[in-house]
Amino acid sequence: MRALVIDDSRTMRRIIARIFANLGYETMEAGNGREALDLLEAGEVFDVATIDWNMPDMDGLAFVTAVRARHDWRGLTLMMVTTEAEHGQIVRALAAGAHEYMIKPFTPDAIGDKLALLGLIPLEVTA
Amino acid sequence: MSGALAIVNGDQITAITAEIFAAMVDGKPGLLVPWSVGDDVLMNDPLHAWVDMHAGISNRVQLTTDAETAHELTRMLLAMTPGEEVGEEDLNDAYGEIANVVGGNLKALLPVQGQLMMPQVSREAPSDEGAVQFDEVTLAWRGHPIIVSVWMIR
Repeated sequence: MRALVIDDSRTMRRIIARIFANLGYETMEAGNGREALDLLEAGEVFDVATIDWNMPDMDGLAFVTAVRARHDWRGLTLMMVTTEAEHGQIVRALAAGAHEYMIKPFTPDAIGDKLALLGLIPLEVTA
Repeated sequence: MSGALAIVNGDQITAITAEIFAAMVDGKPGLLVPWSVGDDVLMNDPLHAWVDMHAGISNRVQLTTDAETAHELTRMLLAMTPGEEVGEEDLNDAYGEIANVVGGNLKALLPVQGQLMMPQVSREAPSDEGAVQFDEVTLAWRGHPIIVSVWMIR
């Protein structure tokens, strides 16, 4: 399975990518929504994307909206992973089409639990 | 005292920062605790990380620790080996991200929504001209002091 980690913090990208790698995922990284869209436009296919909210060039909410506008990207599961914790922000992200919302800080187990709920844990990990 | 983050108290700052360190840095709780009263806070070569937020009134959340502790925090976050050399870019990104997450979680306590700015890291403390400090807690991470302060800025 493949994950796209979108965050302007290289540190956070590495932390999240490490968690996904331990769950058996192949990962790619993008520093903002625009870079992530470029990867999708280039034909890269992912099962799940984790998305920070505050990023330069294109923020997470704009990325979610752009992905949801494209029928051919409907299979991509979108998980916001952000410090934005207000109820209104969560509602906006879910209304725009995000499937899940995680607030930093998170633990590896919390991400694993979310992926399990979404049916996105690779079989070799659950076996 | 007026100002959005004036409603946040030291216990909340300590609890939020401890939770963040447990989840992001240490992988377990208990390694970031209040500094023992009476112990001198000695900080050589202090390094500051801060994030500003705008929620009607502008506020700042600032972390200060010595540079070697900031390097160690970076090694922990990036799963580097003990003593491994930390580059300036990694240091600024990792230490700034801790400030960003602390600031974001404190912002969530506010009764109004606000906007979080990009974190900054510098050996020079941000200007305190026109700034009012609401609260400050001194914490000990593995014995090293970390000061978290909350400000109203103009």
